[in-house]
Amino acid sequence: MTTLRAATLRLFERLHDETLAVDAEHVVAPSSIEEAAAVLGAASEAGISTTFLGAGTDLGLGRRVRADLVVTSTRLNRITDWQPDDLTVVVESGVSVEALGAEIASRGQTAVLPEWVTGATIGGVIATGMSSYRRLRYGPTRDRVLRVQFATGYGRVVTGGSPVVKSSTGYGIPRLVTGSFGSLGMIGSVTLKLWSNPPTTSTVEVDDAATAYLRTYRPLAVLETSEGSFLYLGGTAEQIVAQARDVAGDSRHGLVWPEPIVDPIRIEFRVPAGLVRPAIDRSRRLGASRWVAEHGVGRVTVGLGTLDDASFGAARSWAESVGGALVVASGGKDIDPWGTPPESIDIQRRIKQAFDPSGICNSGILPGGL
Amino acid sequence: MDVAAQLTELLGAAKVHTHPLDRLIYAKDSGVSSGDPAVVVLPETAEEVAAIMRTAKEATMPVVARGAGTGLAGGAVPAPGSILVVLTRMNEIFQVDEIGLTAWVGPGLINLDLSDALAPRGLHFAPDPASQQASTIGGNVGTNAGGPHCLAEGSTIAHILGVEIVTADGDVMVLGGAAPDLPGYDVRGLIVGSEGTLGIVTRVLVRLTENPPDVVTMLISFEDIGDAARTVSDIIGSGLVPSALEMMDGPMIEAVENFVHAGLPVGAGAVLLAEVAGHADGITAEAALITQIAATNAATEVRTASDEDERALLWKGRKSAFGAIAQAAPDYYLNDTVVPRTRFVDVLDEIYAIADRHGIRLMNVFHAGDGNFHPLVSYDASEPGMTERVVAASHEMVRVAIAAGGTLSGEHGIGIEKRDLMSEVFSVDDLDAQARIREAFDPEGLLNPGKVLPDGSRCFDRPAR
Repeated sequence: MTTLRAATLRLFERLHDETLAVDAEHVVAPSSIEEAAAVLGAASEAGISTTFLGAGTDLGLGRRVRADLVVTSTRLNRITDWQPDDLTVVVESGVSVEALGAEIASRGQTAVLPEWVTGATIGGVIATGMSSYRRLRYGPTRDRVLRVQFATGYGRVVTGGSPVVKSSTGYGIPRLVTGSFGSLGMIGSVTLKLWSNPPTTSTVEVDDAATAYLRTYRPLAVLETSEGSFLYLGGTAEQIVAQARDVAGDSRHGLVWPEPIVDPIRIEFRVPAGLVRPAIDRSRRLGASRWVAEHGVGRVTVGLGTLDDASFGAARSWAESVGGALVVASGGKDIDPWGTPPESIDIQRRIKQAFDPSGICNSGILPGGL
Repeated sequence: MDVAAQLTELLGAAKVHTHPLDRLIYAKDSGVSSGDPAVVVLPETAEEVAAIMRTAKEATMPVVARGAGTGLAGGAVPAPGSILVVLTRMNEIFQVDEIGLTAWVGPGLINLDLSDALAPRGLHFAPDPASQQASTIGGNVGTNAGGPHCLAEGSTIAHILGVEIVTADGDVMVLGGAAPDLPGYDVRGLIVGSEGTLGIVTRVLVRLTENPPDVVTMLISFEDIGDAARTVSDIIGSGLVPSALEMMDGPMIEAVENFVHAGLPVGAGAVLLAEVAGHADGITAEAALITQIAATNAATEVRTASDEDERALLWKGRKSAFGAIAQAAPDYYLNDTVVPRTRFVDVLDEIYAIADRHGIRLMNVFHAGDGNFHPLVSYDASEPGMTERVVAASHEMVRVAIAAGGTLSGEHGIGIEKRDLMSEVFSVDDLDAQARIREAFDPEGLLNPGKVLPDGSRCFDRPAR
């Protein structure tokens, strides 16, 4: 192990990145997943608490953690293998969502990543498990992570999943890593399943989102927001015209998404899809200034100026009583961002222990101390 | 008191079987391996499964769960001296949420029975493996089963929102649920495709899919299978994702036609079964695009199903493939590799060359749109040395697929049959990571031992406990 430690200390020196304004003892920027693994191996051995940084656009997510070492993905910034005819792309974690989107749009393709993020990295989106509004049509992000290569908390490079669009070969490690908030290690690259953009898209303003959702076959998204209700359609021009006619709304060409919610506090109701309306009612009672509710999905993102502990507690109790959660996505000071840990927390703790035996990787960022 | 007697006391004699004939009935799934359980149990509730698991843990006996036994990789073959838990009696539909489009169902519910029950509500369960008339939802979860319509809809994993499991400790718990992105790790996503090695699934929360307003099903014939394969690549490359895109080669067409009389073009080199679904106005254009692409690749005939009966007949032809080949020879061996779709034509050529070299009879049926091959070798196992030849040729085919950037299994799982090939697609570190996951769920290794991961996968220092 002494040799590994010496090698890693050399890496620390070479990879030290002084350009980042991050308050930590060490900031390192590996340029390969093997380097990241070597860093984590040494940090694990020395018990150095470690966190990971993409573009730093959504640092408000998850419980606050303290770290002496920051490992950034700034040098993992290549799109390494895009196969347009296979509808797959291999992309490193430091590539921005916009950069990937611009590249693959040249062949009319999309990775169906969140529409509202600005500057976020692929690694950040995968680690936080964020999904596009279009998940109603294409499924959540984790359904499109075919393969992941990551450096574990014990300092090894592990590849999980398969490079092809369909697989029943081993355990679903890509799904485990998606949404794990860097608590198991650092994502180096992912293979994503792509979709072709529909030939025509349209945004239709409707009176009632719930009715529009029930009347439409496979819309891209149905959003009820503080500014109005919108149906998002994609398909051939003929399909779009026919579907817009069915719901009798005002139609605009293209997809016009709501402005991002940037209020001091952002919370998310995550409830069964049939309970979007009660979640909107509760958002209003909490004093929501803005909200975006995803029909057919069950997520309601809410912007607030202030948060009253008692009303928030009641709203969280309701969300958990219906099998969901009320998550604080940013702001909210000392409020636990997650709520009651899941029933399977003991198994989840053993998984954390298996991938991060020294407990150095973002420990405590997820519920139940994961 | 021995374990069978303890289980009889817990469950009643009608649910516990130890007679050699009973054990023989459940000795294998639809693959080629078999095993002998110590006792076969048929529980009816999660509490009974939990009691079985606790008994097994106390006696340190392995536990293997199974559904209908239609699996082709040996995932449900009983480990020697195991308790075999047959879940087919847990086949209820508990509740259907028509707004949220979900239903809780028992693991023993037959796949097609779920879609049939949902039909009056205009809904269905999207994964449709060829075995769907017999295979169970629990089995589909275990193998992350696929089917023709997974091309557009995704495999079983995309349709399972939550599972209730009995853990290796004998506890009952729910993983996941109807709400999106529940906090914590996606342990539900680990259970799907884990072949009963992480827990025993006792209830499943499935996502339901609306029936499309309109469907066009086409049978496209080709003289040359290479033209059919190029048509598949061109369709996917065009940006269109049909709801299904299936292929059969000449020998398979002949076998299926003899079996179901669906009017398939005997003598053709290959057929494609293509389906588009959606709003009538849109799918007409999509069907026209497919026809045009097929024409540029020398299609000899495009036949469109004129009504639901003809559509059902064409699908029956496709889904009867594995039954049909029984006429050709008493045994068959089936692979399930997936390759990048752009490598489809090259890999197909190599697979035929391997069959020629080994002098074996090969028929092919593919989920072509996904790049999922099912090269099927039909043979007579009583012929000396034949099984060994067939397995050797099949492993060669798998290696060709892997070399082309593919993987071992698209939808059948690993089980026993492909377990020892796992190291061809995963490194020592990768297998160790999978073994760590298994250990986190099942520290004593009681759940379906000897499946999925090769021996010795857990090779680095065990974490301190």
